[in-house]
Amino acid sequence: MIENALALVGSVAPILQNAGTSYPAIPPKAAAALAVGLAAFGAGYAERGIGAAAVGAIAEDDDMFGRGLILTVLPETLVILALVVVFVVPDWSAVV
Amino acid sequence: MSTEQTATGGNYEYVIARVRSRRAALFDDDDYRKLVRMGTGEIARFMEETEYETEMNALGSRHTGVDLVEYALNRNIAKHFDDLLRWADGRLYEYVARYLRKFDAWNVKTIIRGKYADASREEVETDLIRAGEFDDEFLESLLTASSIEDVVELLENTRFGDGLAEAYPVYEEEGVLVPLENALDRAFYEELLTGLSGEVSRAMELYIEFLSAEVDFRNMRNAFRLARSGADIDPSEYYIEGGKLFDADEISQLSRNTDQLVEFVRESKYGEDLEEGLASLEDADSLMQLEQALDAALLEYSDTLSNRYPLSVCPVLAYVLAKEREVDNIRAIARGREAGLSEDDIESELVIL
Repeated sequence: MIENALALVGSVAPILQNAGTSYPAIPPKAAAALAVGLAAFGAGYAERGIGAAAVGAIAEDDDMFGRGLILTVLPETLVILALVVVFVVPDWSAVV
Repeated sequence: MSTEQTATGGNYEYVIARVRSRRAALFDDDDYRKLVRMGTGEIARFMEETEYETEMNALGSRHTGVDLVEYALNRNIAKHFDDLLRWADGRLYEYVARYLRKFDAWNVKTIIRGKYADASREEVETDLIRAGEFDDEFLESLLTASSIEDVVELLENTRFGDGLAEAYPVYEEEGVLVPLENALDRAFYEELLTGLSGEVSRAMELYIEFLSAEVDFRNMRNAFRLARSGADIDPSEYYIEGGKLFDADEISQLSRNTDQLVEFVRESKYGEDLEEGLASLEDADSLMQLEQALDAALLEYSDTLSNRYPLSVCPVLAYVLAKEREVDNIRAIARGREAGLSEDDIESELVIL
């Protein structure tokens, strides 16, 4: 998968460079998108453990449902914060 | 039930969340204080309104009074420990299953005692705690065995076989059950800490830390008993391998002299927890207080470990210990009330943190 991605970037970069100006291999928006993806990955991993514990607690006591749900989705904040980056990063055309 | 190793590490989060919740639901000081003041009928009624409801209702038509309480306790503990095995996966399952073999030893002991005392089959059967590795069929065949010798023979291929075969001639000679029971205990404890898969991981370290503490306490108890009774028994015969506190030589020396033993324990890492019990041993010369203190200290140490390492096998084993302690406490209260002991006497029998 990583090789494919590199190959893709590698094949895109020369085309972009052909236009005459120098371009980064990964444009700002794409980098921001990657950041969101990685953040989501981390959030998913964190939720794995919390979710298992929450389900255990709910199985013992139904009242824990609300608290369990909140704690389980807490790592989602990571993704939301990462999403901010997409809007903060300037557009490619703005940089050029 | 197998203890086969699986590739996964275990579902600690899930099991520990459930175990902690159950741990919190155990009886607390107030409940015990109430129970101590109740009569046997009231205790049964009180239990119907708690955790033990299902068992009390199921057995209520067949038994009454203290027997009902006792059988309900046995059934409840078996249910809870079966739950642990049902939840646990992977390596965690292996650790828990290993530890719950304790109830195999207990069941065999109960059956042997029943045979020794010529108790009826039903009586013995209700005393079994079906939480260990032996399945119902095997327990059935043990129950129907006609003599202790048959039981020993049936167990030949289990992990208790060798020890029992060695102890049986001694039993025949002396006519007491101590050698057989001791063989069972030793087989269980030694199996606990030997034959582990040898991998080096944090989980394994904690498992070993927890269990070596338990072995230490067991050795300590044996040593104190021997030292107090002054009996001329070779202490190394009762020594269980795997602890960190004593080795076989030390225990032979120390268990000849109570003062030295007290000093040794006080210097050890358990000294702080046991201070009170040790003091009462020195003042009142009473071993009972110390044994209660040993139980309480082990419970406390297990709690410390499970707070320090929340995602490990420790909270699960600590729960097993605490649950056992609760069942022992309720049984002591019920039996104590039946025998007409005073409230203070019963309270001194309880192990409460």
